[in-house]
Amino acid sequence: MLLTTTVGSFPKPDYLIKARNQFSRGEIPREQLKELELKATRECIQLQEELGLDILVHGEMERGDMTTYFAENWHGFKISSPVRSYGNRYYRKPIVVGKLKRPKPTTVEYFKYAQSLTKKPVKGMLTGPYTMCDWSFNEYYPDRQALTMAFAEIIHDEVMDLEKAGAKYIQIDEPAISTRPEELDLAIRAMQVVTAGVKAKTISHICYGDFKVIYPKILELPVDQLDLEFANNKFMHLDVFKTPKFTKEIAVGVVDVHSHRVETKDEVKQNIKMALQVFAPQQTYIDPDCGLKTRTWEEARAKLKAMVEAVREVKQELGVS
Amino acid sequence: MKATVVGNYPKISSDKSVPNLRNSLNAWDQKKLTSEKLEQVYQETIRRALKEQIEAGIDIVTDGQIRWDDLVTPLAKNINGFEIGGLIRFFNNNVYYRRPVVKSKLSFKNYSTVEQFKFAQANSSKPVKIALPGPFTFAQLSLDEHYGNLEKLVLDLAEILHQEVVGLEKARCLYIQLDEPSLCFHPDQADLALRAIRTVFADVEVKRTLFFYFCRVAQFLPQVLQSEIDAVGIDLVSHTENLEAVLSNNWDTKELILGCFDARNTKLEREEDILKIVDRISKRIPANRINFSPSCGLEFLPHESALKKLQLISGIARKIN
Repeated sequence: MLLTTTVGSFPKPDYLIKARNQFSRGEIPREQLKELELKATRECIQLQEELGLDILVHGEMERGDMTTYFAENWHGFKISSPVRSYGNRYYRKPIVVGKLKRPKPTTVEYFKYAQSLTKKPVKGMLTGPYTMCDWSFNEYYPDRQALTMAFAEIIHDEVMDLEKAGAKYIQIDEPAISTRPEELDLAIRAMQVVTAGVKAKTISHICYGDFKVIYPKILELPVDQLDLEFANNKFMHLDVFKTPKFTKEIAVGVVDVHSHRVETKDEVKQNIKMALQVFAPQQTYIDPDCGLKTRTWEEARAKLKAMVEAVREVKQELGVS
Repeated sequence: MKATVVGNYPKISSDKSVPNLRNSLNAWDQKKLTSEKLEQVYQETIRRALKEQIEAGIDIVTDGQIRWDDLVTPLAKNINGFEIGGLIRFFNNNVYYRRPVVKSKLSFKNYSTVEQFKFAQANSSKPVKIALPGPFTFAQLSLDEHYGNLEKLVLDLAEILHQEVVGLEKARCLYIQLDEPSLCFHPDQADLALRAIRTVFADVEVKRTLFFYFCRVAQFLPQVLQSEIDAVGIDLVSHTENLEAVLSNNWDTKELILGCFDARNTKLEREEDILKIVDRISKRIPANRINFSPSCGLEFLPHESALKKLQLISGIARKIN
């Protein structure tokens, strides 16, 4: 009840940012970068253990971006120069130029490494087929449907490999899912392919969209848990989920990842209590709005600390452990 | 036949030897770069955007909206009554903007684009167009916590934009465009939108242009073509049926800006496909009243693709001429 977790990415330590730049300029070998990625992963797991989070993530130290990383590891892509997504944030939007193929398991090695460092469950982290399609340029497949379904098959293989490697929680993010409500059926169909036959708990993170236009239809997305942002828009979306009743597990974003300001414990408590007016404690998980990679390490730590302490106090007040 | 653009342009170059605005903004944010130095980088970036358009053969250019994070906040910051809110998706793109929140009655505070126009025109041998959010779209992209009445909000924004346009006219800006993508999603509001647009352009002697991207125009195009404007730009890529709408209307003396080059996909158009479209349209509208443009702003593309699209657009325009 009210288990705490995070959405996926953690800030990259300065030494890793430096190494990634050096690697991209060809100044250091892949092995040297990888050592530092693993070091950062260890620090990330250690931080989460210290803070007392319940379900951990590996921190995505090896990933520049949630779509580009897969494009770099799968066949059929060309990587572009960066495009802007908001403010001063950019990503290298992949260009699909040929048939998609996954030459080997992509995320299993870092998952296994992170899981070997802790007794707590670590989530397997993937990007969903609809989002991969929406966040890529398409120069090869005839239309968005064909491209989305091609992604779905590859991602399903990755999910099965993660499950085989011991993942109890597998998160398949679909932040793009509210982009074109007329394509929600396509996104659901693609997720059916992705999660077919999976026994691990499946989660999908969705953010920065208009929940109004996808609710309650989104409850048909075949995953066990939806992970949604609320804090960034001051919980104005919360009412959407009152009727009909929310039938899945929900992870509620209670701290804003796009603000330098660290929320106070009391603010976070208020946020949690607001959420509990709509969701039952039994179905609710608590986390930040989105991945923490845009924050500094100190901001991330402080925000999570406020979050964990707030959850502890709310649980005491509710009389649950 | 002239070649033009719609508005924004990639802020960072694929040429690593030129100053990188993204890195400069990061350094400035971390107080490692002075505001003066950042301003220099802005100016150099704007000059580069102008130069690339001119060298590619674009006849009517923009400053690339290099100083803008999005279509509305640059204006909203100069209007009394707005606060800048949380991130939200910009139409159906993986691009987000901070939503302006209307807190009290709106009024003009400062010019937003007059100095930007002057700088750009002083650095351009071609006429510089200024694109602004149309009053209806501006209202739709904002969150109204004050008026509780769409009409009042739209008409107040129209008055404010009118002052901006008068300022631009005084600075000798000849081409002013209002972007009205939101109208397509509320075609029943065309009366209100066009009334507001008439207010914005009242008594100014400029080329009064409207641009509609991401959307279907059939329902309101007849009304638009009867209104007092000089040119209409239409995205023919997002909804190809817009071509039929263009063909089935009476263009009388109006100019058409044909947004038939996909500014949201890297794939380059085939010349023969473009010529087929032009062939059909030129039976209805004389070639000297047809302009070529991308389907929307070019900032959705990586820099190298944006540049290729510019070259393709002006190349085909020259060939037809």
